[in-house]
Amino acid sequence: MNAYELIVNILTALGAYEPVLNIFKAHGAEYVLKVIIVFVEIVVLMAFVLVTVMFLTWMERKVVAMVQVRYGPMVTGPRGLLQPVMDGIKLMGKEDIIPEKADKWLFTLAPFIVFIPAILVFVPIPFGDYLIISDLRVGLLYIIAISAISPVAILLAGWASNNKYSLLGAMRAVAQDISYTIPLALAAIAVVLFTGSLSTVDIVNAQSGTWFGIIPKWFIFLQPLGFILFLIASIAEMGRIPFDFQESESELVAGFFIEYSGMKFAMFFLAEYAHLFAVSAIVVTLFLGGWNGPIPSFLPAFAVPLVSLVYFLIKTYAVIFFAMWLRDTVPRVRIDQLLNLGWKIMVPLALLNLLVTGFLVTILANGVI
Amino acid sequence: MSGIIKGLIVTMKHVLHIGNRPTVTIQYPYERMKLSPRFRGLHAVDENACIGCGICEVNCPNGTITIVKYGTRWFPQFNIGMCMFCGLCVDVCPMNAIKMTGNYELADYTRESLIYTPERLLFSKEVKQ
Repeated sequence: MNAYELIVNILTALGAYEPVLNIFKAHGAEYVLKVIIVFVEIVVLMAFVLVTVMFLTWMERKVVAMVQVRYGPMVTGPRGLLQPVMDGIKLMGKEDIIPEKADKWLFTLAPFIVFIPAILVFVPIPFGDYLIISDLRVGLLYIIAISAISPVAILLAGWASNNKYSLLGAMRAVAQDISYTIPLALAAIAVVLFTGSLSTVDIVNAQSGTWFGIIPKWFIFLQPLGFILFLIASIAEMGRIPFDFQESESELVAGFFIEYSGMKFAMFFLAEYAHLFAVSAIVVTLFLGGWNGPIPSFLPAFAVPLVSLVYFLIKTYAVIFFAMWLRDTVPRVRIDQLLNLGWKIMVPLALLNLLVTGFLVTILANGVI
Repeated sequence: MSGIIKGLIVTMKHVLHIGNRPTVTIQYPYERMKLSPRFRGLHAVDENACIGCGICEVNCPNGTITIVKYGTRWFPQFNIGMCMFCGLCVDVCPMNAIKMTGNYELADYTRESLIYTPERLLFSKEVKQ
């Protein structure tokens, strides 16, 4: 049920798998083929994520422009579509400045520690039927755990910069991430109570089918409160505008990446948008039915992954658009308001949601009603 | 919460151009705004009307204008770097020789090239006999 088997199936259907495998077997090294296939998967995933991230930076600027009745980038390429490429070239040409009193090793390390988890999160995300790198049995736990690395890296970046604004931004980011990871995880656990499994594939499969033939069996209808909590908490974790304390321009100039320039800055920037894409994909997986959609039965078997990928991307981009739309609409709240919202409203509501869900699931499972 | 939803509706109206919310940006190098006919841009001096009297020079508040000899006659010379485009020179000219064109792309690389000699300012109106 993962991309590895899909590639093997495709190769077998093309009649190429057996001969190639025999060549490797002749040298007693069939694991080499396995490694090659996994490597291909990783390259495809990386390319897909990076292209998506570049597209997202363009989309963000376009959505802001549409809200502010402007055009946005228009000159490079059709409708400015090649603007991210130009930005990348520009950033690569910039001087890579390391401040004199900065901790140079940590300063260089921090962008990588931010960037790599942003890619690693995609490993257990099911992009479509079969289109998953690895169906971990603890997929959801893995996602939450990997996301928890980024505040560490942000703190590293803020500390290593040796700048008061960087450190303040990093402190805020950590406070925010910790206080919003709790409602995030609690809202996700309420979903897990329904499926009884942390595997993302199981969660998506549990959402297939419909009630009464019309309403899709998505968890958003079973967990409306959980969905709202998860969405708000994930927007706060991403550090996007209603909650962008780590980089609030009017207070901290640019927050934790104030001292970064050139490609190091680009890595923070890419990680931010990769995170946006990842979080939207997780929202879709948990609450919006993942890649489930009306797949016509007359389609050949090889088209099913593609169609499911299209459904997944449509839903993901809808969530991303919502995040961008919200960003362009609401102003930044104050830091005390943010923490009040997190600890006094979101955490109790998430606990209540978990309690009610657990109660209902127990009743239904034991056949009381 | 209701405030956020109201705000979201307003921004969505902007995205979809509902109501009087057109995209107002002008793609400047490719398209230009329509200028008012009385727009105060770069000056132009009528070669046949100008008598080189120097009233414009006296009236210019910034000392932009100097009267210089060009060919056999005297004409005003404008240092656009000092000009504030008030239009007093146009008003005081006894022969109505100075007018202002709509040319507003006056940025240049050197201060010297901002000095517009009569050579670059003069135009000759077709005189009806």
